[in-house]
Amino acid sequence: MPHKAFAWFILPSALAMILFIALPLVSIVVQSLYIEHPQVLTQVESCSPFGGCTMETRVDAAATAALRDAQPLGRFNGLGTYFNRSHLATREIATILKDTDGIADSLRRIYQLPFYRALLFTLCYTAVVTPLGMLAGFWIALAVNRIPAVLKGPVIFVSLLPMIITPLIGSLVIYWMVNSRGILGNLLQWVTQDPTLSIAASGPLTWLTLFLYGIWIAAPFSFVVFYAGLQTVPQDTLESAMIDGANRWERVRFVIIPHLVPLATFVALVQLMDNFRVLEPIIGFNAQASATSLSFSIYNDLQAENGQLFASAAATSLLTIALLIVLLFPVLIRTWRDFSRKSAH
Amino acid sequence: MTSSPARPNYTLTLIATAFVLFWMVVAGFPFLWTTWGSFKVEADFFSRADWSNALSGVNTIRQTGDAFTMDGYKGAWILNDFWRAGLNTMLVTVVVTVLSLVLGTLGGYALARSGYRYAFWILILALVFRAMPHITLVSGYLVPFFQLNIWGTLPTAIIVLVAINQPFTLWMLHSFFLSIPKDLDESAMVDGCTRFQAFREVIVPVMWPGIITTGLFSFLLAYNDFAVTAMLLRQENQTMIPKIASFLGSIESEGNVMFAVSSVVSATVPLFILVMFFQRQIVGGLTAGAVKG
Amino acid sequence: MADIKLKGITRRWNDFIGVDNLNLDIADREFLVLLGPSGCGKSTTMRMIAGLEEVSSGEIWLGERMVNNLEPKDRDISMVFQSYGLYPTMSVYENIRFPLRIRKVPASEHKERVLRAAEMVELTQFLDRRPAALSGGQRQRVALARAIVRAPNAFLMDEPLSNLDAKLRVSTRAQIANLHHELKTTTVYVTHDQVEAMTLADRVVVMKNGIAQQIAPPMDIYNKPANTFVASFIGAPAMNLIEGHLEAGTFTSPVLTVSGLPHRHSGPVTLGFRAEDVAVVSEGGNLAAPVYSVERLGDSTMFAIRAKDDLISLKADKAASLAIGDVVRAAVTAKVSHIFDGTTGQRIEPLLIPA
Repeated sequence: MPHKAFAWFILPSALAMILFIALPLVSIVVQSLYIEHPQVLTQVESCSPFGGCTMETRVDAAATAALRDAQPLGRFNGLGTYFNRSHLATREIATILKDTDGIADSLRRIYQLPFYRALLFTLCYTAVVTPLGMLAGFWIALAVNRIPAVLKGPVIFVSLLPMIITPLIGSLVIYWMVNSRGILGNLLQWVTQDPTLSIAASGPLTWLTLFLYGIWIAAPFSFVVFYAGLQTVPQDTLESAMIDGANRWERVRFVIIPHLVPLATFVALVQLMDNFRVLEPIIGFNAQASATSLSFSIYNDLQAENGQLFASAAATSLLTIALLIVLLFPVLIRTWRDFSRKSAH
Repeated sequence: MTSSPARPNYTLTLIATAFVLFWMVVAGFPFLWTTWGSFKVEADFFSRADWSNALSGVNTIRQTGDAFTMDGYKGAWILNDFWRAGLNTMLVTVVVTVLSLVLGTLGGYALARSGYRYAFWILILALVFRAMPHITLVSGYLVPFFQLNIWGTLPTAIIVLVAINQPFTLWMLHSFFLSIPKDLDESAMVDGCTRFQAFREVIVPVMWPGIITTGLFSFLLAYNDFAVTAMLLRQENQTMIPKIASFLGSIESEGNVMFAVSSVVSATVPLFILVMFFQRQIVGGLTAGAVKG
Repeated sequence: MADIKLKGITRRWNDFIGVDNLNLDIADREFLVLLGPSGCGKSTTMRMIAGLEEVSSGEIWLGERMVNNLEPKDRDISMVFQSYGLYPTMSVYENIRFPLRIRKVPASEHKERVLRAAEMVELTQFLDRRPAALSGGQRQRVALARAIVRAPNAFLMDEPLSNLDAKLRVSTRAQIANLHHELKTTTVYVTHDQVEAMTLADRVVVMKNGIAQQIAPPMDIYNKPANTFVASFIGAPAMNLIEGHLEAGTFTSPVLTVSGLPHRHSGPVTLGFRAEDVAVVSEGGNLAAPVYSVERLGDSTMFAIRAKDDLISLKADKAASLAIGDVVRAAVTAKVSHIFDGTTGQRIEPLLIPA
């Protein structure tokens, strides 16, 4: 397609993406370099009839508002926000590393820092849910492939539900069940014979619940893709493997799995992106006391009760995006290699 | 000697069936349970005493005189204006889907038909955009939107959702267009069409299945969004999902959790219907993306 | 109706050259075939004429117009694609009518013209069907009808027969030849099949690596191939090529010696001869080697003999008794020999026509 025609066709889409994805990124960069104005304080002499006069410090609301209107971005702060306690916390980490009681102690103290807390949970969630979700989906696909044909339709129907459900709704549905007053929470108390057991009160249990929830919503996607992949396994290869004497497991190992590998890369990529942005489950499970994610930190800054913390949210956003690009780098490199090879004739 | 397809291994089939049944319970039961529970009072669905109250509805009968009650739905839809959120959701999702498809088919077609290197780079950039958590972008919208005084309105949220969904829509439609032979546009152009006429008269009619499938996913993305709608809409413009989120703080403390439960069930219904009618297209869409990679 | 002139057209992609400085004058009403192996630039050339491919340099003239910058629709040509490019959502009738509709031909003429085109390719009874309900040959004819429904400057056909089975290919080939005779429209036809080229063409352009190797009528190409590539590409079986040395009119190689060649050239050369030009002899002859394979074709027998490293194809009559391993003798005369330069592969013309 000639350049000119291409430009006209892509224009609306490109314009939308430039205005609402690329420019906001610029806006984030700028915001992260500024910090909210402090409140303007004034000295007021207050005199009481009996106690005489004292000087009092008060917030000058009008002046604060005027200043915020004049410079909505706040004052320039350079990279200050990135290194403060809520983000990379370089000074705090230096202190921790200086007077440490061993690695475990320093890790525990670093984990108290909000950014690292969110980072750790996000990475753990992504690292646990992505492979386990895929594995669960793979087994379901293998199993569904074997069951009588009449069952397949309903199974696929039910399987799609956790995937297409709104994440916030899905997490609420599960949360209400595992709640200490819900049916699964009750079951857990009965199993452990501990009537005070509550998932919300226990950090590790909250993490575990969030992971299980993540697998629950991730498995169907892998299942559908792998199931479709199983339908296209080349029958010739499968049959020649049988004639060559491969048993059932060897056929899975040498024919089916290699056939599914390209699909698995695709699924892994999509799941990685989706799991990395985990936000709604933490809100749905009301779990911020024991688990926060990077997305949740940003959400929390923007929801802050007394004034939204734009600078803080922007800094976390940029750190998140930077991390994401690092994670995606192998994929980008691989895609580039594929493309170069293809266009090399 | 292992069994061939002609002589099935019944033990294995039995294990597989059992496993699949277990998965169906895991996948489906939570929805069934919550739907059932939404017709009870809080004391039954969240029972401190005995979980089986939720089945028998002891407290529901005591409080309302019947084993099933619509109180939760009444509270959410009428008392708390959930109907307004429902209307907003309908408006937002329909407009977002249509606009996403219009922009996406044009762009996806261009990307599929251009052999130049920049088309590849646009796709890679779209992949990176697709990977970015939506909330990171939202943090970039707020300040400019406050300044331009466009924060909080439905059109703003719609345009943002369209833009945010573009990377995904472009990828998906691009791979559908790739499966349509180039010969078709070329014979149309030789027959006397301009590029755009060829696109409209010949390619789009062939593309309908792909457009419908992509439309389903655009719909899901808009319907399921939380980050954008929660942060960009003011209270009276809220769609269902942020409305439910705001219920969590306010209503739960008032002891009306059942309003939240019933609104959650209400918001599931459209998705349920969608899967029922478009199961084939959804599965096809997921697979198409995977096969083209 | 128009003539087509290609003036030094070149198509480049980065550092890959698809078509290299091609000059070609196609006369009005001529049937020109672009022939060559895949990747030789023949389709690219046709697509540049159609306007589907950009021209990197050079000029394309359709009649009196330089069309380099014209959109395909403004060039007034019609084209038959290898995979036909039928519109799957339209009926056969709508498919054939499409060019008329899009070019704003008065609606009153549509029906008559579509029916006439359909009749010419014997499609009248399928007009209501969708392309998906047609066989390969019928689809091919829909594509033909769509091309002939209006009277364009030229027809372009991109391997139109390659998706048909062997039998259908022969009958459709005849149909195309007949259509051209009837409509007398300039036609450019791309194929990799030398039989199609020989049977259909007024002139053939043999291409390789983006360069035209020879532009000539079919029989000239058969009788006087311009180089070893053309010699090996035209004719079935391919011309036998034997490397050797030419000195004072005598060709010598380890397997064959031919003397009395009317060429004033000395040095390394390649000698070529066609299987059908050489007689198998029982005594004498200048070529003797054991039989490697035998193919009985019914009307004749093709067989190959193995002489040192070369497999040489020969032709015998249908009754010939040949068995693998038998030693066969043949006489390759100076009269049937073609001489090509040993390094460039270019044909070396004899000084005088051998008697």
